[in-house]
Amino acid sequence: MITVRGRLGKAARDPVLERYRGAFLSAGSCGRGPVFYPRVAIYTGAGASHSWIWFADLMERMGLYDVTFMVESDISSGGLDAFDFLLVGGGDTYAMAEGLGREGARAILRFVGGGGLYLGSCAGAYLVLTGVDLEPFTPFNLVRGGMLNVMPDPPEPRCLEHKYLARYGEEWVFHPVYGEVELGPGGVGGVPCFDGATVRAPLFGGPVIEEASNDEVLARFAGLSGRAAFPWPRNDALQLVNGRAAAVVSAFGEGTAVVSGPHLEHPLFPRANALGAEALLRHCSRGSGWARERRPIGRGGGEQVDGEEAARLVQEVKRQVSNARIVAFGLEKMPVTWRIGLKVWEPEKVRMFLDYAWCRLPFVAQRAASVHPGGQLEHLAGGYRAVTDLARSLKTRIESGEDSQAEAESLLGTLKELTAAFLSVYFKLRLEERTGLPEKPRTSR
Amino acid sequence: MRRNLPSESAVPGVMGVVMDFMYYGDILVVDLEAGTTEEVEIDEAWEAGPVLPAALELFDKHAQDDPLLFGSGILTGTTAPASCLGFALGASPITGGPAVAPLNLFAGAEMKLSGFSMVLIKGNSPGPVYLWLHDGVADLVDASRITGKDTWQTCDAVRDEMGEQLIQVISIGPVGEAKSDLASFSINYWGSGDNAALGALMGAKNLKAVALRGLGMIDAEDPEEFYNRTMGLLPGLPSEKSFDWAFEGLGEGGLDAWLGPLVHRYRSCFACPCACNTFVKYNEDPAVMGSDGVQEPGLMVTNPAAALWLGQGGWSPEGASRAMEAMARAGVDVVRGSREISAEPLEAPGEIAAAVEALTGPAEAAWPPGEGPAEGGIFGPWTPPSSSGDRWLEVNRAAYVLGVCPLFLAASGVEREDLLELCVPAAGIKLDAGGIKEMFDRARA
Repeated sequence: MITVRGRLGKAARDPVLERYRGAFLSAGSCGRGPVFYPRVAIYTGAGASHSWIWFADLMERMGLYDVTFMVESDISSGGLDAFDFLLVGGGDTYAMAEGLGREGARAILRFVGGGGLYLGSCAGAYLVLTGVDLEPFTPFNLVRGGMLNVMPDPPEPRCLEHKYLARYGEEWVFHPVYGEVELGPGGVGGVPCFDGATVRAPLFGGPVIEEASNDEVLARFAGLSGRAAFPWPRNDALQLVNGRAAAVVSAFGEGTAVVSGPHLEHPLFPRANALGAEALLRHCSRGSGWARERRPIGRGGGEQVDGEEAARLVQEVKRQVSNARIVAFGLEKMPVTWRIGLKVWEPEKVRMFLDYAWCRLPFVAQRAASVHPGGQLEHLAGGYRAVTDLARSLKTRIESGEDSQAEAESLLGTLKELTAAFLSVYFKLRLEERTGLPEKPRTSR
Repeated sequence: MRRNLPSESAVPGVMGVVMDFMYYGDILVVDLEAGTTEEVEIDEAWEAGPVLPAALELFDKHAQDDPLLFGSGILTGTTAPASCLGFALGASPITGGPAVAPLNLFAGAEMKLSGFSMVLIKGNSPGPVYLWLHDGVADLVDASRITGKDTWQTCDAVRDEMGEQLIQVISIGPVGEAKSDLASFSINYWGSGDNAALGALMGAKNLKAVALRGLGMIDAEDPEEFYNRTMGLLPGLPSEKSFDWAFEGLGEGGLDAWLGPLVHRYRSCFACPCACNTFVKYNEDPAVMGSDGVQEPGLMVTNPAAALWLGQGGWSPEGASRAMEAMARAGVDVVRGSREISAEPLEAPGEIAAAVEALTGPAEAAWPPGEGPAEGGIFGPWTPPSSSGDRWLEVNRAAYVLGVCPLFLAASGVEREDLLELCVPAAGIKLDAGGIKEMFDRARA
């Protein structure tokens, strides 16, 4: 586990995830045992915001290191076939659906129908709700429920105007509460994280779900917290969400789809993480025979370099990530946001991407010299150099009062791609460190 | 490359117990002649860590390399009151003996957070460079573009190049580049307490600046106890403005009344409850609160001794402020420079600029009897002498080991023992005045 300080570190040390981490880390290394060790795909493509990083973080805390990051073309070209989980976080649902297209939708449905697990939060949940009968979403009908936070003429918000509404055909999706909410148990029994209490989780524009009769409710909204903004009056917001489904589990073919309005993967909410982990563990507890065929993924690799060169490259990555973080810290003081598609990006997201790489760099530095992921390291060093230049240029434009939209789009897009590349190296090293994991092809069920 | 220094018995990879806390990162050794940097581990024999006495040991050990060291105290950069102090240590060109200059404002805290416990700079660079220390990365950057620039221009250029205005820039102006004995390094724009011409030492090294920024955190051994104790000290501490509470010398009303018509605001150094530093405006009405008017409205007076010389010499506050600005820009020691020109008050900006330009060293400094570098003392007159020379020395020793402003320690009424006791929850070490004296005696033996 990496060492993280502050609130994130405190949350990461919460013992609530231990049972899941223990179960996965003791999963049969060659497909034996009651729990299989899953191969995880995380969507980082069109429309994905920053929250897919939270999924990566959660996988790490659960001891799941066989993680690959996928863009829309990876999915539509059949890349999911060798995986057990597909995790889709928040972002711009329209951009996701358009990016994935009908091919992507078919691939996702085929993946789940064939025994995979889809976990979508926020935009990842909207994307696959059957009740959403609107192009470009129609092909993604995976979960039978609908959503309740949609109406033709929502009332004016009291705050957060820029995040309150999203066009939905002739109607509007709206968000009556934005921030921390309380969740209580649904129909799924024996979920340890509830343990007689509610669980807090952040709702950042995700759906309030209208569950279908044969879906299992994993969690229901059970109150509001003071740590939220209320575009609607608090009581009205409470009336809309309370008792409604926040997360549901839906069987689809031989697989499972889990959708959640709140971000169960958010790193500051360990008990919400445990709720998501419970769904993942249950899926993997069907026995090792359900693990999908271990086909080589064919990503990464690159030229080999010697240990000294690897250390030099890691140092260059460190140098540039540090330079960029320092600029990004300054960006956070600036009163600016950027709308990219339907998604509003704040400057602090820049540092968030960088921080996830920064706190994992010591491990990469320690291992890189012996593992030699050379070509990838070169790509990272050059990429983060470009990020530093972009961040400086962006800041200069903001300071001089010029339009910064193009630079922001370029910077955030580069950061997204680069963070996925960095985490690919990181997880590869983690997986290699954990000897005995299934690296050989396994028999599919 | 890493190695242990200076104890041969130190075990590679094993650091002293106390080094788990309050400092992070190795000691950076910069060889300007070779243009290389190297990291060495902290000597576990240094019981109180890489504090000033340890730097004195390194100074002696590397005397043949003309060393210049930068470091911080145990509490620097923490929630301890007035924990703003770092240090620069080098051979004073005036006397040839070791001399210490304070890193106050935010430079001491950034030194602590730079990712290096201490910095040892050896030799002279063949061309002009500046040293950029950020999050444990050390970069020697070509400074030919800023050669000849004054300290204000240098500070702006470094910050613009690196893209962040919070970078602390310790730089020299043309006077330092000329290796004049009147030179002083400047912290950002505001001069410094370098009264020993360490600015000339930087000039001799072709070292135009040292820039510092780090986003790390400092660990205490017992963080809660440390935090609670530091917060517990606050109610009993003074919360003063201007310099009058600590300085006397302008008769009734003091500095505050003299500068009063020009005063725009007061500003404290890092974590200090007393806002000594006095910003005066003479290019704009001091009543103007906005910062979008005149680009360079005035000066922050950080060195009251300089103001005292000019005030006592009959200068108007405006003329004195313009003279201090000219000296800070040029990289002249404002105290010794002010003493030189104090006898002939001037008003016209052109005449003031000419007088500052005509300054030649060396100028005598007002060290307490027996404590100047020539007498083997190391501390400068930045802290005003008190009635007892012994107490003055004790205050300075404790201040630099703790990393707490000596001015605050001498004049605020804070109990030194209370601050010394903070070292237990901070780093698990017990310190008293006798122990600190021993550390210095041992280092100077």
